[in-house]
Amino acid sequence: MLKVENLDKTFRTGAGDVHAVRDVSFEAKDGELVAIIGASGSGKSTLLSLLGLLDAPDKGSIDLDGIELANLDSPGRTQFRSRQVGFVFQQFNLIPNLSARENVKLALEFAHWPKNDRDARAHEMLNLVGLDASKADRRPAKLSGGEQQRVAIARAFAAQPQLILADEPTGSLDKATGQKIVELLREVANTQKATVLVVTHDEKIAKKADRRLEIDDGILKEIT
Amino acid sequence: MRTVGVVVILAVAIALSISMLIARDAVTNKINTVKASTGTTVSVSPKGFFGFNGGGTPLSMTTIDALLNLPNVTAVQESFSEELSSSKTSLTSPTPAGQLGSQFGNGGGFGASGSTTFVIPVRVIGTNSPGNAVVGGANGGGTEKLTSGVAFSPTSTADVAIVGSTLAAKNNLKVGSTFTAWNTKITVVGIFNAGSTFTDASVLMPLATVQKLADAPNEVTSATIIVNTIGNVSSVDTAVTKALGSSADVTSTQATTEAALSPLNSVKTISTYTLIGSVIGAAIILLLSMLMIVRERRREVGVLKALGAPNRSINSQFIAESTTFTILGAIVGFVVGIAISSPITSALVSASGGSTSSNTGGFVRRAGGFAPGGSGFSPPTGAFANRGSGAFHFGGFSNTITQIHTSAGWSTLFFALIAAVVIAALGSTVAAATIVRIRPAEVLRSE
Repeated sequence: MLKVENLDKTFRTGAGDVHAVRDVSFEAKDGELVAIIGASGSGKSTLLSLLGLLDAPDKGSIDLDGIELANLDSPGRTQFRSRQVGFVFQQFNLIPNLSARENVKLALEFAHWPKNDRDARAHEMLNLVGLDASKADRRPAKLSGGEQQRVAIARAFAAQPQLILADEPTGSLDKATGQKIVELLREVANTQKATVLVVTHDEKIAKKADRRLEIDDGILKEIT
Repeated sequence: MRTVGVVVILAVAIALSISMLIARDAVTNKINTVKASTGTTVSVSPKGFFGFNGGGTPLSMTTIDALLNLPNVTAVQESFSEELSSSKTSLTSPTPAGQLGSQFGNGGGFGASGSTTFVIPVRVIGTNSPGNAVVGGANGGGTEKLTSGVAFSPTSTADVAIVGSTLAAKNNLKVGSTFTAWNTKITVVGIFNAGSTFTDASVLMPLATVQKLADAPNEVTSATIIVNTIGNVSSVDTAVTKALGSSADVTSTQATTEAALSPLNSVKTISTYTLIGSVIGAAIILLLSMLMIVRERRREVGVLKALGAPNRSINSQFIAESTTFTILGAIVGFVVGIAISSPITSALVSASGGSTSSNTGGFVRRAGGFAPGGSGFSPPTGAFANRGSGAFHFGGFSNTITQIHTSAGWSTLFFALIAAVVIAALGSTVAAATIVRIRPAEVLRSE
């Protein structure tokens, strides 16, 4: 269960202060897929950075399963992120010189999974996202865009995090593949009982979510 | 391709470091060898004395013996020399007068005059250090080596002699033979070879015996002060000069040695600076390469951080990369460095003004030359020959001073290892500092 209250973030720039996130509050249940939509510069990426503990809020609270995350220091955020947060990016961001299997195992390594279990877990996750063993040992460059995003999803869910943050996960894919990826996200979220937040500006993708939130000028509203 | 480029540039820098290190070591060894063999003596001779051509009054043996009490003096070698004409010895010099001898003989010195046939006298050296270069150095030979018989003791007072090989051959002398000098029967106890016709025409006898027979008790015509280290030669030179005052000419080998070694010292300096420069250069190359690599992979670093990788984990990956570059560069550089060290050393020595001309040493013709008759003083002993210009000049080893042997030992390998570690560490440090500053939120926001 993710509970966000009064989250605020301001960036100081040469042109003045930019209030990227203003008093954001919302909740998301385990296994729920929540879409966050908004135009460019609306603050959705900043919100994702705060929720993913990549940045610290100026004020407010982020509670994940009863643990307050907003006040963690940098090493604490890194440690929590490695175990409880998974990322899916628009550009996939797989490590180019590692195979699909090794990319998944990397997340397990950072989460300190037992060494002996990593191979089996990577194999299980790649199967779950629909990649057979023949593709597990291929490097990202030898996989299609859809396959790379599947690997990224497998990597994000591998360490069984409570929170998955997907930033425009279908942005680099064709429509059909994008639909499949969102379905996959929902399926895996249900299987693993993880909360999934998908940032997108594609209404069709957003409509596949359990709930939709819209952010505009840093202010978040529920779309009913 | 970039990796190959970085490794090649590193290899060139490390090869230059290695070759400079080898050149420096080789030159340092040469300098130390030369200093050890020639640089720790102070020569003493009577004021105004120069062999058969100078004047002066013999020195007091008591005064010279007292020099042993000076700080840093380890030994004092003394000698008293005389040139014996045929009226004073039964020996005949094996050295033909030749054109030079006749010219000098008729020109003056040794009491000859007019058209009298010149005969080279026999030189007798009384010494308290037999076998220790008494007839070498300036006299054209080297340290005498016994080819038969035995040496006399430094304190002997017996009527015995060690005879130069060419003189012995000329006079049919063997160990046990006798000859006369100062009307005294002298027994040959040994035959020596000192490497030149001139020196091998000499006779070595105990110092006390020669002083007694020549009626010159307590007199010495030259002395060599042995100093414990090259660093103390200057102070001993000063102390000896002060002790002997105006009665003696005191010359040390240090200044001459330093002057002769000046080109090698230049090479040493050049190679030291080049060594430091190339190590720093290699470090900068790696540093910039790593900086470029980290910047290029900024997104990857950001993703790794987003996935929860701690800084040390990411740093270790880049350190492994920079270490791999350095090790590959060091291996190639080490091999190339060893291969090019010899020609580079030769080029540096030549460029620094080191002469490779050969000088076989020995007396060089001077006006006045030799002259028969009377007593003469032998020139100071040592490793230098006088060229007639008044300045000392390297004799026996100027031809070898630029012959430098280069080799790479464990110390070189150890240096290469240390240099590689330093270079890798410097390169990695910059990478690490850059990695720590990368904020994943900024990197990922720029997608």
